[in-house]
Amino acid sequence: MADCKETLDELYRYLDSELSPGRADEIVSHLKVCTDCQGAFEFHADLHRVIREKSRTDDISPAFLDNLRSCFGDDVLGSNSGA
Amino acid sequence: MTTRETFANDAMSHAPQLFSTAMRMTRNRADAEDLVQETFVKAWRAFDSYQQGTNLRAWLFRIMTNTYINKYHAKQRRPQETELDDVEELFLYRRLGAIDQSRISPSAEDQMMALFTDDDIKRALEDLPETFRLPVLLSDVEGFSYKEIAEMTGVPIGTVMSRLHRGRKAMQKLLYEFAKDRGLVDESRLEDN
Repeated sequence: MADCKETLDELYRYLDSELSPGRADEIVSHLKVCTDCQGAFEFHADLHRVIREKSRTDDISPAFLDNLRSCFGDDVLGSNSGA
Repeated sequence: MTTRETFANDAMSHAPQLFSTAMRMTRNRADAEDLVQETFVKAWRAFDSYQQGTNLRAWLFRIMTNTYINKYHAKQRRPQETELDDVEELFLYRRLGAIDQSRISPSAEDQMMALFTDDDIKRALEDLPETFRLPVLLSDVEGFSYKEIAEMTGVPIGTVMSRLHRGRKAMQKLLYEFAKDRGLVDESRLEDN
């Protein structure tokens, strides 16, 4: 089973699903018994989620969407406005 | 629906995500729109080389990232920064105790969502040096694997991992500074260990 140092060192790779299944299981086993590391894991998982959700709130104009549709030619998508 | 129609409709469904990432890459709306439009033009021209059933989203992001690196990177007003001050591991997590939770809306069920505004997150991403901004965008925002990011940016996986690690720490430091600017931090609450 992984210890605290190993778990924290590999926390990001675990969150990124980049660990082998066996190593991920070892991290999970440690998180089940260590509240400190579990807290760090939950914090970083929350932070990832917040970054993902809050960085995708840009307004996209209907005119721009029309321009994108025109890249495919009017005979493919037509020229409907709106998302 | 023809294969081309399906492709075009699927590509359009990815437009909002492509645009948001383009905004973070270029840091201005006009360039972001140009970048996404150029991406779609290239994608349509390369339609015959796209393998049906494979990951269209990753294919589009690869085109966009490549276009950005080759074209818009040269237009950056700031000189490309490759240096980044080293930041402590788990920087933000270790300073949670300094954040005055009472100053965040007490009714907020999700304290983390209430702590940072949309603009905080976007500004932190955009303030990262480009070398570190791209892997953070492609991983933390778009969820691509290290291997996919390495292919998109043309650097080895080990380099992706290193830049991602440093970029994330730098972003945490930026977010902490934004929280301080908004009066949410009381560093006297931190205990000396």
